[in-house]
Amino acid sequence: MFAVGYTLIFSILRIINFAHAAIFTLGAYFTYALTGSAFGYNGLLKNSALPIHLPFLLAAVVGAMLAGLVAIVIERLAFRPLRNRGADPLLSLVSSLGVAVVIVNVIQYLVGAENYSYPAQPYGNLPTAINFGLGSQRIPVRTVQIVIFGVSVVIMLLLTYWLNRTKTGKALRAIAEDATTASLLGINTDQLILLTFFLSGMVGGLSGALIGSSVSIAGPYFGISFGLRGLAVIVLGGLGDIPGAIVGGVVLGLAEAFVPVQYIAYKDAVAFAVLFLMLLLRPQGLLGRAELQKV
Amino acid sequence: MRTVQPLLDIQKLFVNYDGIQALEDVTLAVYPGEIVTLIGANGAGKSTTLRSISRLIKPHSGEMLYGGRSLSHLRAHEVVRLGIAQVPEGRRVLTRQSVFDNLLLGAYTRNDTHAIAEDIDRHFTTFPRLAERRNQLAGTLSGGEQQMLAIARALMSRPKLLLLDEPSLGLAPIMVQEIFTIIQRLHASGVTILLVEQNATLALKYADRGYVLEAGRITMSGPASSLLTDERVKQAYLG
Ligand SMILES: Nc1ncnc2c1ncn2[C@@H]1O[C@H](COP(=O)(O)OP(=O)(O)OP(=O)(O)O)[C@@H](O)[C@H]1O
Ligand SMILES: [Mg+2]
Repeated sequence: MFAVGYTLIFSILRIINFAHAAIFTLGAYFTYALTGSAFGYNGLLKNSALPIHLPFLLAAVVGAMLAGLVAIVIERLAFRPLRNRGADPLLSLVSSLGVAVVIVNVIQYLVGAENYSYPAQPYGNLPTAINFGLGSQRIPVRTVQIVIFGVSVVIMLLLTYWLNRTKTGKALRAIAEDATTASLLGINTDQLILLTFFLSGMVGGLSGALIGSSVSIAGPYFGISFGLRGLAVIVLGGLGDIPGAIVGGVVLGLAEAFVPVQYIAYKDAVAFAVLFLMLLLRPQGLLGRAELQKV
Repeated sequence: MRTVQPLLDIQKLFVNYDGIQALEDVTLAVYPGEIVTLIGANGAGKSTTLRSISRLIKPHSGEMLYGGRSLSHLRAHEVVRLGIAQVPEGRRVLTRQSVFDNLLLGAYTRNDTHAIAEDIDRHFTTFPRLAERRNQLAGTLSGGEQQMLAIARALMSRPKLLLLDEPSLGLAPIMVQEIFTIIQRLHASGVTILLVEQNATLALKYADRGYVLEAGRITMSGPASSLLTDERVKQAYLG
């Protein structure tokens, strides 16, 4: 799910937005603050809490929107100036990495580095796990994970519909292919790119909140380790392919599930192994076809 | 002297790329209903002129007026809304989208859904080859078909002024003929055209007036028929 936001920006702009990982973290923290929970022992905001107590899901949606706004600011400050100068995409990558580091440090400064957990039972009275096994063979799957998976699929379907069927979506794909030509057709490229960043930031922020509710918010670097995995996922899915990103997420999830408990610390290594294998064997992605030759 | 106002009036345009002078003191005008052609060798600055008008690049100095209105502070997508469409060099169709969607995006600035659908049908009647391939990806079309699509797409914004950058480039002679027939038909329907061409003979045959661009400067201009018989033009461009 995290990967969807990444993929959105990559497919349009051909840049990898490392700041996305930080936005993911921000989404988690915004949501935490909006539920009215207090921040801990360290940092500038210690023991302070917002006077509002939104229920978790509402907080997650609002938090996602705030994350989307942050993404817009990042696009204006870190990406657009480079794009207008026609700079090397590598520079955008470095610039986004810089933004990510800044955000992580600001978070650390404000709320410290400890873990935060959302209030108990963020999903109300739903059972915490659902049994998918038969009879004595129990295969429990945690409700949070089902929620995350369900939300990812819905977002994927909406984005795919939007990109392929609506006028704005088609215009966005035109920008992805050839921004100069898009502007010759009267498409306001900067505006639509801003929209892309907002949506991708929202998706990233929402995934931060949801994944935070699955484990806990593991400090300011929370998003970064997911960022690396997210990268593996989009390569798995075929760079820039949104349905592919979902399939990639499932495959990586399964691969990681096979890591024996005693080696759990090497989870990230699995992600990277998968990433290398894919780049070697199927650079076009799991579902991908070789790209159409340019005429 | 003419009493009508030019549709497009370019005065003393200077453009440079990273310090290299691409256009120097270019002054040209296009009057309503005309076909004006801009001819010149490779690298003379023809595309640069069209890119300046479409605001894809920012000139260093000079003034561009469209219907008396300055284009100088507009962005590329805003120019299209004023009625200036460009068919860029190399056609630049959206290869990963269908023929139909390419046309639809040509009408991006419009909101009149019904009229858009009618226009698409009309273009499909004029270009039956596009109609047959309406659901195909534009990248699978032949060069000539792509050129037709690029022209039809530009027309979808219902422009008053059409900028064509080397529409005959890389096409077989029959196709070139067909493209020029289309240009003539557009002209007859009232569209004003600024045509950039390397095929000077053909361009001058169809145009009302012409300008010759050499290394970023306009060196000659006049009625197309007199340029066609001018010794210097013949020497340099008509082979
Ligand atoms: N993006 C660019 N950066 C630097 N120089 C450029 C750029 N685009 C064009 N030029 C230079 O500006 C000059 C004019 O180029 P332009 O493309 O306008 O020529 P042209 O007349 O359209 O040529 P052709 O017939 O080959 O299309 C050339 O010397 C070219 O090398
Ligand atoms: Mg050119």
